[in-house]
Amino acid sequence: MKPRVFLVDDHRLFLSGVKAELAGAFEIVGDASDVDTAISGIRRLDPDVVLIDVHMPDGGGVAVIEAVTDTNPGVRFLALSVSDKAEDVIAMIRAGARGYVTKTIEPAELAEAIQRVHDGDAVFSPRLAGFVLDAFAGGGPVVDDDLDQLTAREKDVLRLIARGFAYKQVARKLDISIKTVETHVSSVLRKLQLSNRHELARWASKRRIV
Amino acid sequence: MRFKRRSSDRMIAGVAGGLADALGVGAPFVRAAFLTLASIWGLGLVLYVALWLYAYEEVGDGEPKHLDSTQKAGLAMCFAGAMWCFEILGWWPHPALVITVATLAFGTAALIDRAGSGTVAVLFDPGAGAAGRVRVAMGVLLVVVGVTVFATTVGPLFEANVVVMISAILITALGVALGFGPMVRRLVADLARERNERIRQEERAEMAAHLHDSVLQTLALIQRTDDLSRISMLARHQEQELRDWLFGTAPAPDADLMSTALRQAARRVEDDYQVPVDVVVVGDRPLDDPGRSLVAAASEAMVNAAKHSGAARISLYFETEDDGVSIYVTDQGKGFDAGTIPLDRRGIADSIVGRVRKVGGTATITSAPGEGTEVHLRLPVEA
Repeated sequence: MKPRVFLVDDHRLFLSGVKAELAGAFEIVGDASDVDTAISGIRRLDPDVVLIDVHMPDGGGVAVIEAVTDTNPGVRFLALSVSDKAEDVIAMIRAGARGYVTKTIEPAELAEAIQRVHDGDAVFSPRLAGFVLDAFAGGGPVVDDDLDQLTAREKDVLRLIARGFAYKQVARKLDISIKTVETHVSSVLRKLQLSNRHELARWASKRRIV
Repeated sequence: MRFKRRSSDRMIAGVAGGLADALGVGAPFVRAAFLTLASIWGLGLVLYVALWLYAYEEVGDGEPKHLDSTQKAGLAMCFAGAMWCFEILGWWPHPALVITVATLAFGTAALIDRAGSGTVAVLFDPGAGAAGRVRVAMGVLLVVVGVTVFATTVGPLFEANVVVMISAILITALGVALGFGPMVRRLVADLARERNERIRQEERAEMAAHLHDSVLQTLALIQRTDDLSRISMLARHQEQELRDWLFGTAPAPDADLMSTALRQAARRVEDDYQVPVDVVVVGDRPLDDPGRSLVAAASEAMVNAAKHSGAARISLYFETEDDGVSIYVTDQGKGFDAGTIPLDRRGIADSIVGRVRKVGGTATITSAPGEGTEVHLRLPVEA
């Protein structure tokens, strides 16, 4: 059975374009171009994956994720945006999105990313990997809690992703399995979602992005 | 240097407030100085208007200056000295008038400076600092001196009952405030509204000009282009440029940072070879001469990848570590066998390696047929 995908984007042109690209590999169960319609649609249809735009009026993607997390805990979110701003990326991840890709992504890569999120893994674009490395590194102990530190292996994985390698290539370069790469990335995602709000805020303000 | 008038928290035109921010002293004291000068044949008024014309209006929030107490004392002495000079030159209309205005104005200033925390209440607040108490005590003293001087000199001068005279002045002032207050307030509100409207219009004009120069030009260019890859490149560039402008992520033109130089190099390659370059930056450092060599080498590596790899996109990754900086230029293109590099490409490889070695760095080129190519440039740097 094809994964059931719900699309949320306030640009209808973009919405129809993505729909056409994904129609073969996924069952597009519905779409919405504003926050309220998205929330009611997702609650009603309970899709597997929601491909969601970050910037929308009335709270954006974060508002949608927060509204349906409790009612539909099984829904997984992949954030999609034109924005390169670190604060947007981090905000979506912290709200619960399992990955973040920019709208310039190739259709095949987008399909792969949706599949990966559907399988419960995290999707890190090179840019997101760079943001995370930046957030957890530099300027000494930015994150003091043991839980929040990235392991050396996780940093290795993120560095390779930031350098533009696909998970498969990362696995081969580090001589580990793809499954292990996915485990590392998911663990980074979890740390990003759990890490101390205050420390991340300080990092963000240092970079003048809040 | 021109100072900025305050656009908020001001009495008339924000001249005194702006001057206070520029000098690093409390606004009430600057206002007191203007009042005192005004008692000398209106000198303060003339000065105020002159400065009003000279100053420009504050846009955004400027960082107020902070002076230590010695510097503040210096400023106070400058003012007192200047006043004394006026007195010696015989410019004072009447000593009593100037002294009265000065003591009352500065006394009041001392009492109301840092309104809220610095009022008379400080005297009764056990938690207040000694400096605050001294300031308030000085204020009270000054006001008392002012009233006394007024009562003993100005009163007899006009042979009038001082209490009656002060009452008359107060009643007149109250009447003026009640009678003309609403009018003045309306006038000020109108002026503020007009100013806001003007600012909005200027912003709109600036935005229109920017969009015309950038987005509209690009759209026009796209309509005249048949080449698909060129269209997507134009769109990509415009998108990046517009985003920089909207979100303010554009680097300052004089920002000499490694990341800035690398992004510029990446954009040049995109322009020249129509291949997108994904730039990811972790950390940053100022651009020095070795850094420039590294950027130049990275630029060569990107050109190399764009020309020979056949890859759809190139990745540029820059990272600062404790003991050095690294740049990776990666492509997923056709790659090559290190033993069979064509002569012209060997030349480029040599120029990359040579350039980096000359500044004490290393360059490693990893590639195999069908495996893509990665160039790793590393420069050891002392922390």
